[in-house]
Amino acid sequence: MKLQQVAHVETRPSSLWRDSFKHILRQRSAIIGLCIIAALILCAIFAPVIANYDPLLPMIGQPGHTGRLPAQPPCIHLLGCSTEQPQHYLGLDLNARDLFSRVIFGSRVSLVVGFSSVLFSIVVGTLFGLVSGYAGGWIDNIIMRLMDVLLAFPSLLLSIAIVTVLGPGLQNALLAISIVTIPAYARLARASVLAVKEYEYVLANRSLGANPFRILFVHIFPNALTPLIVQGTLGIGTAVLEAAALSFIGLGAQPPTPEWGAMLSEARNYVFTAPHMVFFPGFAIMMTVLGFNLLGDGLRDALDPRLNRN
Amino acid sequence: MIVFLARRLVTSVPVLIGILFVTFLLGHLIPGDPCRAVLGERATDVVCDAFIARNGLDKPLPEQFVIYVSNIVRGDFGESLRYSRTIMDLLSERLPVTMELGLAAMVFAVTIGIPLGIVSAYKRNSALDVGTMVGANVGVSMPVFWLGLMLAYIFAVLLKDTPFALPPSGRLPAGYQPTPFYEVWSLLQSGASPSNLMVFISRFNILNAILTLNGDLLISALRHLILPAVAVGTIPMAIIARMTRSSVLETLGQDYVRTARSKGLRELAVVINHAVRNAMLPVVTIIGLNFGLLVSGAVLTETIFGLTGVGRTLVDGITARDYPLVQGFTIVIAVAFVLINLVVDIIYGYLDPRIRLS
Repeated sequence: MKLQQVAHVETRPSSLWRDSFKHILRQRSAIIGLCIIAALILCAIFAPVIANYDPLLPMIGQPGHTGRLPAQPPCIHLLGCSTEQPQHYLGLDLNARDLFSRVIFGSRVSLVVGFSSVLFSIVVGTLFGLVSGYAGGWIDNIIMRLMDVLLAFPSLLLSIAIVTVLGPGLQNALLAISIVTIPAYARLARASVLAVKEYEYVLANRSLGANPFRILFVHIFPNALTPLIVQGTLGIGTAVLEAAALSFIGLGAQPPTPEWGAMLSEARNYVFTAPHMVFFPGFAIMMTVLGFNLLGDGLRDALDPRLNRN
Repeated sequence: MIVFLARRLVTSVPVLIGILFVTFLLGHLIPGDPCRAVLGERATDVVCDAFIARNGLDKPLPEQFVIYVSNIVRGDFGESLRYSRTIMDLLSERLPVTMELGLAAMVFAVTIGIPLGIVSAYKRNSALDVGTMVGANVGVSMPVFWLGLMLAYIFAVLLKDTPFALPPSGRLPAGYQPTPFYEVWSLLQSGASPSNLMVFISRFNILNAILTLNGDLLISALRHLILPAVAVGTIPMAIIARMTRSSVLETLGQDYVRTARSKGLRELAVVINHAVRNAMLPVVTIIGLNFGLLVSGAVLTETIFGLTGVGRTLVDGITARDYPLVQGFTIVIAVAFVLINLVVDIIYGYLDPRIRLS
């Protein structure tokens, strides 16, 4: 390498974050994931503008609505539906509510559940993991055995058990999903602590008499950040899926909340006669989870400094 | 190997105790008075005191826990409030349904997922590879209950009257009672009732059909099993395909694969014997870890396909507040989960000497 080139490299220091961002923008699947998530967030924010009806309002008795309304199939004027009938892009549900508006408003519930449950479990899990890894000894043993027990249950089963105790409802479902996913973050954080705990810079800090909390959060925690972000992104998808599953078996969101899983649950006995009521909410769940999975996979590749980018 | 086995067995003991403790707590944390939950709102205090004394609910919690564990070790999970039958009895009736479904789903996931993963690794960046990976990403993202409902709609409504039509519910045609193998083989003395084990085995429809050489029954049972098995098996299949692909990609780039090629081995032998064989270790782990997915899949799909298995009974038990049933079924599933992980670890240790020595 020529001297000029070396100088050039050194004058432009690159950070992991800037490199990663550039790398993500070069990955097609991560971009698709980002686009899906951006669309979802826009849907959630502007739901009242995008949705053309109140998601909780039955159309029975509304102007222009005649005939048998519940479970009416989609009506789009451009696709040949009579212009005398009001448009319902995705049709009506069992209570004659506009399905499109319900699906759009459903993005709010799902995103809130996804983000908040992951945030909760990352905070608690990381705290457990950091303390466990740094303290070692019996504290480590107790915390990690506790995590092992949580991991010993299939996740849906454990969340079902927790909601059974707490009582059905969206908030409790959210809490259950968070508790179930804590071990994954605790293990990640602990592994990162163990990896750097004995490094010279940590020992140096300790010998200077730095506060253990300062060492833990200022010097050790940043090392755990990248795996936690990747796991968290993938975790949002899983949380959305689990919340929908809990609502589907009647333990999550309760009617009339426009939640995708609950909508599927209401419609499941009508799949043979009114498949549109089943197809669209499920498709919305799938796209949401797909978005977070694609972005998570992209982040994993982008944030892994060991991968050769060339 | 023996040391590894012993160490692994010992480490699962605290987890098992933890599971028992969690399910025990589950029973005690449920809001409300246990007596009135069981005997009804109108039970008098006298009746309730007797109930509490009979069930040892007045004893200190640690003592109650010991009684609880000793009952479970003896296979006594108590009695279901809803069915007025022992949990053990219900389990032996419903476990075969779920085991058959889980096994079929796993067979589907493995036989489709592994070859797909191998081929897409070998033909990297081909249309097939891209298609498989897009399919795998979509497959992992699908809610299993939605997939089940859509499959039922496609194969029972859209493809009705075509050769591809498949029954969307039940295990056998309505009203069909298969003859158990022990009757076909006349294993029983006249008047004797079959042993529990015999009845349990005969409840596996496919196994029973094979044992009784009943082709019609076999085909019918298989046809009923296809849709639920595909629904439950799709997510594991997608995961297995992805794992196989990345694992095979890694081994294909190894020096020993190049050596094998330079020896002039046939390409198929290089891929199968050198690359794939060494790539299977992580795949085995993933297959084992997918058991949890099978359980949640079963819980969510059995209701859709009208199968009275463990999952559906559990969900019905929750809505009916049948706590002994929920507790008992939860323990059995969690213990099975621990045992399967144990078996996976042992297989792993057997396949990879580095694991058991570390």
